Amino acid sequence: MLKHELMVKLSGFNTMKDSSMPTSGDSLQAHKAPNTAEQTMERLIFSLSELEHLGQTLISGHSNFNHSSKTYLRITLGTLQVTRGAILRYHPTRQNLEVVASSPDEVFSPITVEPSEIEILLQHPFIENENLPECLEQFFTRAGKFVETIGIRLWVPLKIQDEFLGMIGLGSFLGRETLEAWEMELLTTLAHQISIAIAYSQMVEGIQSEKFRLFMLAESAPQICQLLQPEAAAEQVVHQAVSLLDANAGALMLTYPERQELEMHFTFPETLVEGPTGDSSSNGLIIPYGEEAPVSSETTSADMLKSVVKEGLPGHCPPKSDTLFGGKNLMAVPIPGRDGDILGILVVGDKEERGGSITPFTDEDVILLDSFAKQAGVAIENAHLHQEALEARQLQAEMEEARKIQENLIPDRLPDIPGYEVAGHYEPRGPVGGDYYDCIALPTGHWGLTIADVSGKGMQAALLMATLRAGLISELSRGKGVAAEDSVKPNDTRMPKQVGQDVSALYAELTDMALTLNSLLYASGTEEKYATFFYSHLNPDTDVLTTLNAGHNPPLLIKKDGTYKWLGEEVGGIPLGMFPNDMVPNIAEYEAENVILTSGDVVVYYTDGVTETVNIEDEYYEEDRLVEDSKACKDSDAEGIREYLHEAVMGFQGAADQFDDLTLLILRKQ
Amino acid sequence: MLDKFDIQIREAKEHAVIETTGYLNDALGEQLSKKAQELIQNGCTQLVINLEKTTLINSIGISILIEIIEALSEREGTLNFCGLSATQERTFRMMALAKYAGIFPDEESAIANL
Repeated sequence: MLKHELMVKLSGFNTMKDSSMPTSGDSLQAHKAPNTAEQTMERLIFSLSELEHLGQTLISGHSNFNHSSKTYLRITLGTLQVTRGAILRYHPTRQNLEVVASSPDEVFSPITVEPSEIEILLQHPFIENENLPECLEQFFTRAGKFVETIGIRLWVPLKIQDEFLGMIGLGSFLGRETLEAWEMELLTTLAHQISIAIAYSQMVEGIQSEKFRLFMLAESAPQICQLLQPEAAAEQVVHQAVSLLDANAGALMLTYPERQELEMHFTFPETLVEGPTGDSSSNGLIIPYGEEAPVSSETTSADMLKSVVKEGLPGHCPPKSDTLFGGKNLMAVPIPGRDGDILGILVVGDKEERGGSITPFTDEDVILLDSFAKQAGVAIENAHLHQEALEARQLQAEMEEARKIQENLIPDRLPDIPGYEVAGHYEPRGPVGGDYYDCIALPTGHWGLTIADVSGKGMQAALLMATLRAGLISELSRGKGVAAEDSVKPNDTRMPKQVGQDVSALYAELTDMALTLNSLLYASGTEEKYATFFYSHLNPDTDVLTTLNAGHNPPLLIKKDGTYKWLGEEVGGIPLGMFPNDMVPNIAEYEAENVILTSGDVVVYYTDGVTETVNIEDEYYEEDRLVEDSKACKDSDAEGIREYLHEAVMGFQGAADQFDDLTLLILRKQ
Repeated sequence: MLDKFDIQIREAKEHAVIETTGYLNDALGEQLSKKAQELIQNGCTQLVINLEKTTLINSIGISILIEIIEALSEREGTLNFCGLSATQERTFRMMALAKYAGIFPDEESAIANL
């Protein structure tokens, strides 16, 4: 109400459309400057009311000075009846004055101001163009275009105590050459109010920024700790750090203590770091930190990062010390793990401020990033532990599948072979292996007895063994290993040597089958994946057992009289799948041989899980014990022998841990 | 997404939508401010700012959004935000942006509530 009444009273301004004073020089040109005492008094009253308005503007919540500056300028010009002017705000980090409001409203480039010039400006409450201090001439030269465009004639530094905050520039005093003394006093008061507004704005901006940072710090902890994928956690950690520090870049590098290296895991922006191959990808950037840093007058960013890891303390790197991070101003902090070890480092680059200029990281920034890095450490460890748990679960599931495959390969029960007894035993001990035994009925009424052991453990081993079994069944079904049977008759009285001559075709077929299986396994796996394999062809009519060994432990033949023989020991070939077929002749060709079994003979097929069983004194069971134990039970039936040998091996093992499967196949001639 | 940097304006008869892409820092914020000021100067005081493609904001970005709110409030305009992540929404509420501007899940509802 007060303001409205004053406006009506003030004949010089009663054409204004709003409560603010005019900003257009043109509208004021039509009015004459008040020159009566009454008008002067009225202007003074009006000015006081405008000061109230200005104060209200200050505390209205419009905290951003750049936005409110137009209002301040309008009030200042209107109160003083000045038609042209500007408010300039000083940016300490940029060391320039930004024109935040001007009349006429135009865009100007910031005006650089040197610290020495600020000292002089602070010493003068007013500076007139006609009476410039000598040492400010360069400043006014730099401000020349602005001064000329606005028509500035009078300058008023804005300050609070000795802090330089900006300037007000005024021109065109509406019918006057200069401002009167009381107007100058009013201008001083207005300038002080505007200075308070700038300081208040800075304070509010600072509080807002700190409020934002503290909130983000509190908010980020639970957020990043919920991320269970290491890649996602790394991305969020970098993004949050960048946001938190008002940075323009960030990176996460993890330490690999065993190789004393830092490896880049995530960068923002993606092209922040040039990769080792010169491309723009940061993936794979590796910085060794074990070696001593070379003595150099200039610290590179890599030196700084190494130092952060080795010292466990935050580090800075000035801008343009090198180009690894695009010459950015860097700050890095260690990321601590639960055990006090350093998981990696968190890097932020180029802290920005309003206007886009880059400002140095402060001590408070270091504390903030350090706090955040502690949270990041928990998040990264959580994510990695989760990943490990997932992988362990996946491995366990895979092992279960492998176990099922493995168990399906082992026959549920063994067939009845006329005149013979057979018994088998498979016992998994530790990770799933690749043991296999079988007794396969052949179309001729004969039998194929086999035992095998695949290298390695788990799914790969189980699948390779499944492949071997499928290949074997396929070969046998195609008629391999059944030749020359016609020549062998029941109750044949021929000597073994003669029989051997007759089964030469069978020998050839078995070696051919071994090569086929070798080729199959070689194509299915790597050099490290192979199978030891023992195959024996039993003709129950002639009691001829024709055998072929591909790198397997030679089965033990215990004769009725207690003598024994290792089958396939002298004519054994190399394991299947280890070398291609064309290399086999150069190493050890597959060869077959035969024996004739007589009543009471026992053949003990086994895998190395038997002979390599270890007791608590780190002794191996070995072949000698197998011979002795087999002799001890040779007069039992096949099942009894199996049971005896199993108990013997387990008794030898005692409380010792075992990691290889135990497989036995017993064939006994009744 | 964050490495990209873009502003799209979709103007309608009664309102305009400003969609930002990338890190809302000083650089993108200044562009956003300029576009918003232009719209306001041209009489468009019903604005929606779609931040769906801006998942990262720093304190300068926040201060620029506050300025836009202030500029609009002087013209008795309305500003609605949409496409905010859960964290952004909590941040906006904590920083009191939500006191002077609406927050909606999508552009359609933000426009409908201008």
